[in-house]
Amino acid sequence: MATLDAAAKKQGKGWQPALLRHEVLLAVILVIALIFLAAQTDKFLTTGNLLNQGRLMAEVGLVALPMTLIIVTGGIDLSVGSILGLCAIVLGYSWKNLGVPLPLAMVMALGVGTLAGFANGWFITRVRVPPLIMTLATLAFYRGLAEGISQARSVRGYPDWFFQLGQGDVWGVPTQLWILAVAVVITAVILARTPFGRGLYAIGHNEVGARFSGIPVDRYKLIIYTFSGAMAGLAGVIFVSRVSTTRSDMGTGLELDVIAAVVLGGTSIFGGTGTMLGTVLGFIMIQLLKNGLALTGVKGDATIVVIGIVLILSILLTNFIQRRRSGNE
Amino acid sequence: MLKTATTVAGLCLVAGLAQAADRWDGADELAVNPLGCEAGATATVTPKPYDGGAPTGAKDLAGKEITLVDVPKLIGIGYFAATTQGMQEAAKELGNVNVKTDGPTEANIDDQITFLDNFITQGVDGLLFAANDPVAIAPVLKKALGQGIHVVGYDANSQPDAREWFVNQAEFNGIGKSMVDAMAAEIGEDGSFAIVTSTFTTPNQARWIAEMQAYAEKCHPNMKWLETVEAQEDNILSFNQATTLLNKYGDELKGLFGMTSVATPASAEAVTQAQLCGKVAVVGLATPNAMKPYVAADCVKSVVLWNPVDLGYAAVQVMRAVADGKLQAGATEVEAGRLGKLPIVNGSEVLLGAPFIYSKSNIDQFDF
Repeated sequence: MATLDAAAKKQGKGWQPALLRHEVLLAVILVIALIFLAAQTDKFLTTGNLLNQGRLMAEVGLVALPMTLIIVTGGIDLSVGSILGLCAIVLGYSWKNLGVPLPLAMVMALGVGTLAGFANGWFITRVRVPPLIMTLATLAFYRGLAEGISQARSVRGYPDWFFQLGQGDVWGVPTQLWILAVAVVITAVILARTPFGRGLYAIGHNEVGARFSGIPVDRYKLIIYTFSGAMAGLAGVIFVSRVSTTRSDMGTGLELDVIAAVVLGGTSIFGGTGTMLGTVLGFIMIQLLKNGLALTGVKGDATIVVIGIVLILSILLTNFIQRRRSGNE
Repeated sequence: MLKTATTVAGLCLVAGLAQAADRWDGADELAVNPLGCEAGATATVTPKPYDGGAPTGAKDLAGKEITLVDVPKLIGIGYFAATTQGMQEAAKELGNVNVKTDGPTEANIDDQITFLDNFITQGVDGLLFAANDPVAIAPVLKKALGQGIHVVGYDANSQPDAREWFVNQAEFNGIGKSMVDAMAAEIGEDGSFAIVTSTFTTPNQARWIAEMQAYAEKCHPNMKWLETVEAQEDNILSFNQATTLLNKYGDELKGLFGMTSVATPASAEAVTQAQLCGKVAVVGLATPNAMKPYVAADCVKSVVLWNPVDLGYAAVQVMRAVADGKLQAGATEVEAGRLGKLPIVNGSEVLLGAPFIYSKSNIDQFDF
């Protein structure tokens, strides 16, 4: 812990290390990309378009926040997309087929998400199943449950008030963007300013060491996997509200978008480093790149190639910085 | 242990929820509507008022050059490459249409919505789409209509009020009639058959089977329906299910229906490997490329599907007619270039025609 604090102090001091921080570089790249794309088409840098993009990225963003906490500890959660699908189905099925009032069905969906995340965390900490294996298994299991419950039928015809969440605005800004903003602030404070957050870094650096320094490793892990499930559930409810229907294939492949955003944001997949700010920049960058390239007339398959190249470059950059930094010490 | 227990509990839950129906209800609440028994019978057009939407403040584009974007369910598969080809043919023939196809690489509702959203922001004259979900796509299509963009669907419909017209490749009862008629021609009026499908509740397949049952009862009452089996859309499972049916019913089984583009070639393969070509007929929905070897070997005589090139062609022709103001609410038919006049059905749908039967004489002309 002491070395960690020292490292943090070292990072904060002087302009040169600060400039070389991943988030700063990412922000610079983001601004350059914005200017470049805005010069290509006048449809890109408009308030309407940017707010609309905010609406589209909210679900990935909400799930990327707990994913950052998990990856900081050196773990991974591949089941988030399936949890999103399961929660969407629970919402639709309990409302339409079981006659549960919609507000209660929304709470049930969140509850199921939380429970699904708790199950992941329980097996990972108590049965010692590696996170990759456990969440790969539940990726299939939760999706299977969603398909089994829904029987390939989608649920539609939600009342108008429900669409406020996914399609409505509050003071001119999409509703879900407010939710995302609040969640970003809370998780950023938790990760950067609390003993809990520092404990997560410690687990990622050296789990055994963290255990011996008295950090309740298992409890912390259980909390973040449960939180991840809850956020996937929340994203699921917002998703259903945005697209006004419920299908069992919702959220397929979400985990990859989320992990890409987190890694692009500078969180090391091996754990120990990463910030919420980086993750936020990561998912904004991916969303705006996709949107900007599409608006300038780049085709969908080419856009994916560009995203892939950006990811590789970002990882090369991070490695380069880390080598420079360790060389300076 | 606990993990096994949860898995088992989950499986039981899934199994408990799956219910088999003795009367095929099509997994929805719609009524069946079998066509007449004579060859070439089409649905009696019950007049229905126009139920499509209308763009607000659309520009007058009559005769002007228009730019269209086509967003299919996904790109990179033969089927939608064929519809794209048809669209380009129509654009070339018309001379005043630019059409570009772009879309997600997986059939994902969210990605498709994002693509459409971006094209609306970019500003186009018209959107063509094949919906991954009829309801999920509706808000974004309504947004397009609200900005004066013309919207025409093909292949997979949206809610009617979210688009202007939909080019319907084949009605469910049309597919049902073509399938059963083709089977009756091969195995006779008193033959017995079985069906290999995806799952009992997959929307299109379930609907087709419901129509086949209604049509067979009406027009071929002596044909015997042995069994319907599920095989997901899985190649190996389809092959195994078809082989099981062949062994189970032996000489009694005269024909196999394949309801998916996976089940049909797998059933043909099962018949080929059991050396029953000519004794057991295979009729089904499939794409031509997968069926060419079996058709060439005379193991399969008829493959039922619509022609996707014509489907894409018709979609662009319809869009042009809409932009020119030639196709308006209340029309009963629309001029579609080389396809001639296409009828309007169900209020706001353009019907491509009877399903297309691929046989040995024409299958080599298609590559998808």
